[in-house]
Amino acid sequence: MSMSLLTGFLGIVGIVSFVAFFFLMRFKASSKQTDRSNRIKWSSYIPYRQSNTERERTSEGSDQDADFKG
Amino acid sequence: MSKHSALDTFGRSGNPLIRSDIFARQSSSLHERMTLQGAVDKTGILLFLTVLTAALSWSSESPLMGAVSALGAMAAVISGIATFGFWFFFIGWIVKPRPHLAPKTAPIYAVGMGFGIGIMSEQAEMMFPGIVIQAVSLTFFVAASLLFAYKSGIIKPSQNFLLIIFSATVGIFLTYLANLIYSAFTGASFSFLTDNGAFGIGISLFVVAIAALNLVLDFDIIEQAHEQGAPKYIEWFGAMALVATLIWLYIEILRLLMKLRSR
Repeated sequence: MSMSLLTGFLGIVGIVSFVAFFFLMRFKASSKQTDRSNRIKWSSYIPYRQSNTERERTSEGSDQDADFKG
Repeated sequence: MSKHSALDTFGRSGNPLIRSDIFARQSSSLHERMTLQGAVDKTGILLFLTVLTAALSWSSESPLMGAVSALGAMAAVISGIATFGFWFFFIGWIVKPRPHLAPKTAPIYAVGMGFGIGIMSEQAEMMFPGIVIQAVSLTFFVAASLLFAYKSGIIKPSQNFLLIIFSATVGIFLTYLANLIYSAFTGASFSFLTDNGAFGIGISLFVVAIAALNLVLDFDIIEQAHEQGAPKYIEWFGAMALVATLIWLYIEILRLLMKLRSR
């Protein structure tokens, strides 16, 4: 295969791959990927600031707060 | 009229940190969680910025462009370290990761790296016409294939996978660093890094494989952050990690193709 033909072929492969890459990224991974016990715990390496769900959980415990009313 | 006119005027507290309007603003930002679509959009923006500045540095014939590219690459490295942190053996984190900086540092990184790879690509294209299209195409082919393998559960990254890929990546960067110091003193590079023989190509293939497998880790970061309802700025962090790996993979594929074409 000549070099220009190879470049043209790879160019088409590249365009298809580019579109496929951005299309696939929008979807959630399959349950085979997500429902596993041996996943990497990224939250222990990447310090997210406290997420929304955690803040909600914290605020739910407010009824146990000290009451200073006489 | 209220007896507490001060409350009407200044809100429940005079302290600007706990005034009611500040709370309202903070609670609205709390509800902004990252989405996969957001990460896709940010990846697109960063790749666009990289290609734009790469095209600028490629097409410009100004002698200043060399200095601009060097400054851009330096800014990209500083942005990368500020966001991802800097870890070293036996010492630990010298600079801790700060993902909340990503919305500011990610565009700087993309623009800076664009200038760097623009010049590199132009030189490669002058020596071997058509090589840049081939390298870009192969980069996206590898990325799309691995993304499919990840999303469908064919590749399942675990803690051991992370350890192996992280060790190999650190090893590669230490080798490159040693080569940089060696070439600064002797003016020559390690022969196995530049050699176009079977061993040199084997080394290049290994580095391409490690760069490609780093993509799987980036996909996993984005996927998990989305599942856990991470804050909005993680979209920029995930996109920056992904673009950094794509750029590394592109450079390594370009080097591999140059070795193959020079045989």
